[in-house]
Amino acid sequence: MPSLSYQSAAKIAAREMHSSRGKFFFVILSVAIGVAALTGVRGFSASFRTTLLSRARAIMAADLSARTTQQPTPAEIKGLDQIESEGVDVTSVTELLSMASAAKTLDPLLISLKSVDPSKYPYYGEVELDPAGKLSDALGGDQVAVADDLLVRLKLQRGDQLKIGTKLFRIGSIVVNEPDRLSGSFAAGPRVLISRANLDASGLLAPGSHAGQRYLFKVPKPKNGSPISDDAVAALKARLVKLLPETQVTDYRETNPALTAGLDQATSLLSLMSLVALVLGAVGVAMAMRAHLAQRLDTIAIMKSLGATSGQIIKIYLIQTLLLGAAGGLVGVLLGVGVQLAFPYLLANLINVRPDLRIDPGAIIAGLAAGVLTTLLFTLPPLLDIRKIRPILILRRAVDDLDQPIGKMFLALLRGQSIATDSTLTLDRLILYRLKKNLAQLLAFVVILAGLTAIAYAVSDSREVGKYFSLGLVSVLAVLLLASFVVLKTLKFFLSRTRLHLPSVVRHGLANLYRPGNPSAALLAALGMGVMQIMLVFLMQHAVVQQLQISAAPNIPNIFLVDIADDEIEGMRTLIQKSPAITAPPELLPVVTSRVLAIDGVAAADIKTQNFPHRMLQSVQLTHHPDIPPGTTVVSGKWWDAAQAATADEHPMVAVGVRTAERLGLKLGSTITFAAQDHQFDAKVVALIKSDGQHAFTRADFILPQKSLSGLPVVWYGGIHADPAKVGELQRALYAAYPTVTVINVAQALETIRSVVIQIIYVIQFLAAFSIFAGIVILASSIAGTRYRRIREVVVLKTLGATRLRIASIFSIEFAVLGLVAGLVGIFFANVIVRFLLIALTIPNQIQWSWNIFGLLGTAALTVATGWIASHRILGQKPLEVLREE
Amino acid sequence: MRKETSLIDTQTEVKSGAEAPTARPAMIKVAGLHKSIRNGARMVDILKGLDFEIPTGQFAAIMGSSGSGKSTLLGLLAGLDTPSSGDVFVNGTSISYLPEDKLAQVRGRSIGFVFQSYQLIPTLTAFENVLLPYELNAESQSDGKARALSLLQSVGLSDRLDHYPVQLSGGEQQRVALARAFVLRPPIVLADEPTGNLDSTNGSHVLELLLNLNKTEGTTLVLVTHDPVLATYADRRIVLRDGLIISDDINLNPATL
Repeated sequence: MPSLSYQSAAKIAAREMHSSRGKFFFVILSVAIGVAALTGVRGFSASFRTTLLSRARAIMAADLSARTTQQPTPAEIKGLDQIESEGVDVTSVTELLSMASAAKTLDPLLISLKSVDPSKYPYYGEVELDPAGKLSDALGGDQVAVADDLLVRLKLQRGDQLKIGTKLFRIGSIVVNEPDRLSGSFAAGPRVLISRANLDASGLLAPGSHAGQRYLFKVPKPKNGSPISDDAVAALKARLVKLLPETQVTDYRETNPALTAGLDQATSLLSLMSLVALVLGAVGVAMAMRAHLAQRLDTIAIMKSLGATSGQIIKIYLIQTLLLGAAGGLVGVLLGVGVQLAFPYLLANLINVRPDLRIDPGAIIAGLAAGVLTTLLFTLPPLLDIRKIRPILILRRAVDDLDQPIGKMFLALLRGQSIATDSTLTLDRLILYRLKKNLAQLLAFVVILAGLTAIAYAVSDSREVGKYFSLGLVSVLAVLLLASFVVLKTLKFFLSRTRLHLPSVVRHGLANLYRPGNPSAALLAALGMGVMQIMLVFLMQHAVVQQLQISAAPNIPNIFLVDIADDEIEGMRTLIQKSPAITAPPELLPVVTSRVLAIDGVAAADIKTQNFPHRMLQSVQLTHHPDIPPGTTVVSGKWWDAAQAATADEHPMVAVGVRTAERLGLKLGSTITFAAQDHQFDAKVVALIKSDGQHAFTRADFILPQKSLSGLPVVWYGGIHADPAKVGELQRALYAAYPTVTVINVAQALETIRSVVIQIIYVIQFLAAFSIFAGIVILASSIAGTRYRRIREVVVLKTLGATRLRIASIFSIEFAVLGLVAGLVGIFFANVIVRFLLIALTIPNQIQWSWNIFGLLGTAALTVATGWIASHRILGQKPLEVLREE
Repeated sequence: MRKETSLIDTQTEVKSGAEAPTARPAMIKVAGLHKSIRNGARMVDILKGLDFEIPTGQFAAIMGSSGSGKSTLLGLLAGLDTPSSGDVFVNGTSISYLPEDKLAQVRGRSIGFVFQSYQLIPTLTAFENVLLPYELNAESQSDGKARALSLLQSVGLSDRLDHYPVQLSGGEQQRVALARAFVLRPPIVLADEPTGNLDSTNGSHVLELLLNLNKTEGTTLVLVTHDPVLATYADRRIVLRDGLIISDDINLNPATL
């Protein structure tokens, strides 16, 4: 069979594009905006995420850490050597409590000694020293670095000597901030940093000494320069858990749940925005191509009458679609790269993160491919409609006989009647015809969904988002088509009943919606989809930002107080409350040190733990609190009520941190046998809790009612928030009043986290605004695209004497109904999907009524306004001018 | 009443076409042709059962007033539409129920079309419009350009090759359409009011070209018109009214230009 050469098809396609430049400008714009948002948002968020993740890693100073109190066995050492030989960097950090004294006065002081290998530690972040310098220099020779409260307490200065163990060291510099201060142990006593060699020389590490060991691991960067994958970290973690059963292995994501959760939510949201931008672009293209093909009906009919097959014509328009998709994609990629380059500058005043920009050719190709592919997918239905165009159109605008309402025809044939138009038509022929006719459309629908899901998975960095997005898209499309059908039918019914009582403008406007040939259903679907997507982005960013703002709250504790005696606590409370440096009420946490003797009757030594050293069961910290502490949520079970609390001395109960519960194999209803001093009791697990990692109670894994712990010796820990600038002053005041209380200042570390979270918020808001703006432009252009269909109608109305106001009113009614219906369905689905997504991301959600109503009215207003703007030129023109152009 | 705008001598001698002995084989055969379409809620019968044959090389004029069904008949002859019942045979082959793509082949290879409103592709030049059937249908396109060029020369448009339809007058556009109809040497040319949109001078020029081409190419020509003068040039005259043939006459002395 002869076939139209690609050259000829391309020529015809290109000619048409050239002759309809104005219209295709919208198509290219839609694709370009979609692709630009995709590459720009995705590229920028990828580099931004990499930058932020390296900050999250700095909180641990590594990708993974393994904490133990035992010396590794030879088999474990062999395993660690094997891991090191595979390219993983390993270093150990030893922390122990010791006594130090000033060389001159010999005043003793409990210190928290930390020994590191300064050539390796830290893998991420840096140790801030005063005077600034390299850690390896600061710890070289006989030097140590100390916290400034050591200087205060021992009345020493830099350069003075400090005796640790049996050896004298020189204080070379002051430790201002350690990157892993929050993930290390909060031991009593000021920090002293010492090199591994000097620790060995001090003679403190005798066998049996109570030293805590942390191994830090850094996963090698992939050779292609891409960032370290979470999978690689997870794989190493699984290996380490197996290799070192008596250690506690954590990865960097666990050190600050608020930060990593923020990042995860931001990632999900950003990939959602990319998808939304792409689909919106595609919707724009589909609408434009529909309008274009509707205008090309005559040309297609002529070509068919000249012997062109549907395949040949589809080939022409397929090439056109590809050209448009590629052109839009190219423009989009250029714009996207520009956006990616411009974002950091636009945001420079808000954030101080300068992501290392990598213009990834892979991402560009992905953007381009996604653009062309989505364009193709969404143009499939209008392209397939080409097959339905009958060449007889040139001679007579007629309705296909077999396209009568199917129900009536079925009934007639079932009753054995023949169809008036075709006596030879039989039931099986009708079914076959209908099937054949709709099979391609059905297939196209399946292909679009499959393709879209594939693209969603490919460009979405979050599986959850990909899944809910695709599901949401399918349902919303189905419901929108159904809704448009129902609405149009209802309107028709309503009009047939009330027709004569309605003002003619209203009647005409409503009738316009269902007149044959009006793309109401398609426009309704496109608008509804668009509104859903835009609202989805908006509502998600609203919820995520609200959540992040809690994490970035300015008054979470930034100073921790360790070892406050029970008789000091009231005085301490008063002192803190009076201090001008304090900006939030203190969180004071009573701690009873206890042992776990058994769980559900199984002795401690025999408990099957997971990633939890048995030795740590010898010293667990119990705390009491009447109600759910700040920053804590109950994951399962129920917190005790007042009545239960009142009898808790007889029936002890405990709320356990969910991760600790997993590690110890605890479930709701399990019984833990605790022993504190000579008192032994069984406590029932009544709740599993989760903490946001921001409060003093974050470190409490076992919370009981006060009565369960009555009579046991208590020391207090405190978390207070002080103005970072006044921390030094407060430290001195506290030391003067309570010299035995250790003050740990994490203000610096927390500020870093806070600033990162705030940066995430800014970026999310900025990119969401960008996506929403892009979406609105595309939707507006879709609405504007329908104006070509209205030209003839306007001309006829004008010729019959209709004023511009009247025509504009007719259009306004038509567009307002479209906008309201589309807005209603779109917003409803946006809320449903947001609900699922937020539950999946464990973000609390509430229906945003005011924003939803605003969105609905906004959609109607936007639709009407765009309709006006698009019809403005037509309204202003003389009928003949338009007819000539036609 | 015959319109007195006749350009030529219209004296004719007629004989019933249905009864005329046809030695030549039928190029087109119509059997029991019915066509109904839906108009809103009601069905309209446009053709109510037509039977006739058109032999190879005959020039038949189908006449009738507006709404008589002549354009519908032409559409069915060309395979542009499907009958409600009955059949159309082209060169002995039934075309009425062929699948769409097979029908397209029949249209492309066997039928040339001339429309009242020219129906040129607006984005292609005159030359490209004439070449289009070649590109769509011909097995080989080697001689397509020469053929298109010579046809455009024969309709007097050799200086208008690169003009777009919008740059051509109505008469010129219809001449391009004529060239396009004949470019693939189809055995049948169907013309729907080819002079209907033209003034008399341009109309007679186009008609002359059509008849000349028909003669030189040896084509079977079916022309739909409501103009009785135009029909005097035909070998045969079929008159429709309300979807039925009310007369079918052979014109033994067709007028000449």
